[in-house]
Amino acid sequence: MGVERVREHQAAMQSPVNWALLGLVVERPSYAYKLAQRFDSTYEGALSLSSTSHVYTALRSLLDRGLIEEVTGSGTGRQPKPCYRATGEGVKHYQRWLISQFSEERRRQRLFTIELAALMSAPELARAVIDGYEQECLREAGQGTLEPQNGSDDAPLQLATRLASEENRLAVGARLAWVQYVRRELRAIAERRPPAR
Amino acid sequence: MSLLTLEAVEKRYSGPSRQRIVLRDVTLEIETGELVVVWGLKGSGRSTLLRVAAGIEAPDSGSVRFEGRDVTEHGDDLLGGAVGYCERTFRCAEGQDVLDQVTVGLLARGVAPRRARSRAQRALQRAGAEHYATQPLGWLDAAESVRVAIARTLALEPSLLVIDEPTRGVDLLERDGILALLRSLADAGIAILASAGESTGLAGADRALVLSEGELRGAPTAELATVLPLRRPAGWRATA
Repeated sequence: MGVERVREHQAAMQSPVNWALLGLVVERPSYAYKLAQRFDSTYEGALSLSSTSHVYTALRSLLDRGLIEEVTGSGTGRQPKPCYRATGEGVKHYQRWLISQFSEERRRQRLFTIELAALMSAPELARAVIDGYEQECLREAGQGTLEPQNGSDDAPLQLATRLASEENRLAVGARLAWVQYVRRELRAIAERRPPAR
Repeated sequence: MSLLTLEAVEKRYSGPSRQRIVLRDVTLEIETGELVVVWGLKGSGRSTLLRVAAGIEAPDSGSVRFEGRDVTEHGDDLLGGAVGYCERTFRCAEGQDVLDQVTVGLLARGVAPRRARSRAQRALQRAGAEHYATQPLGWLDAAESVRVAIARTLALEPSLLVIDEPTRGVDLLERDGILALLRSLADAGIAILASAGESTGLAGADRALVLSEGELRGAPTAELATVLPLRRPAGWRATA
């Protein structure tokens, strides 16, 4: 098995932690310890490292796949610490992975609609589900507005917060409009249904 | 007692061939310092709800009370005073520049000219619109117009500010500033009832509700609202 083939095979990386670390390295080269710190501040509440050594395992995996490379660090110790930067291949894979996340989101939404449609014979149950879904949307509507952390001068992190907030707000709007459509469909079904004896 | 209470409000519009129920058994309570936003699609009745809440339109049935007083009976006393309905349109007859527009409402209520201008300037400052006080109205962009409209209402020192789609037509990068302003007014104790045609307008709300086919969904009272961590829209500033 050639090196390229190995890399192609291994590139089907599933670990969200590995992808998140790759994203941080794409953003800017860092030392392992600094990456662990950036990981914690960037993905707080969304992803977590099982331990500090988790970073080293993940970096090894990214190196093996050719997605990152070591560059000589500027440390002054006897053994300079390696700094990690993304390879061209790493940047491309990261882009592709980000795009694939959209289809994953669409797949989950499609699954939900299929499950909801399964309640077609009991529109009142479906209405209760959709009422709950709407309440969840309303709850979410305010959640994308968190102010960037105080004292943080991490511009990419602030940008990420704003982008996440906007994406969330727009997505909630689309869902709320969709809920109105579902209600009309369910009412039409209920009106067509013969009354129970 | 809530600041504003709508109870079993129904509102119908009659056309030549049919009657349309715009608000159906709507119940809503708003407390002092609460920011309540009603989202709805176009034609959902959200603007009607706001006009009824402000006492501009009377409900066909049900009641609207502000501090316990029926707004249909006391509308003239309340509207433009304790209840401020924020109009986004300006009448040229009320002044050619921004400061005139904000001052005119005070003059109409008998405030002395010098005092009226001082209050208008304070209101413009509060709304973040002091920089264009001397500008002609035609120079204002959408965000600036909203700020001036809010200032004009604030000058009358309302306890409740009602505003229809405050972010409509506002540039994306200016939008959060408007929402932050509303949030800061609520934090300062003014109750805000706003509508939103886009979900982005729900940001910073204490309570978000949906108006659909005349029915109001969501928590009709503050007690029933989901408890959420305190949050502020991006770009929030204490002095906004």
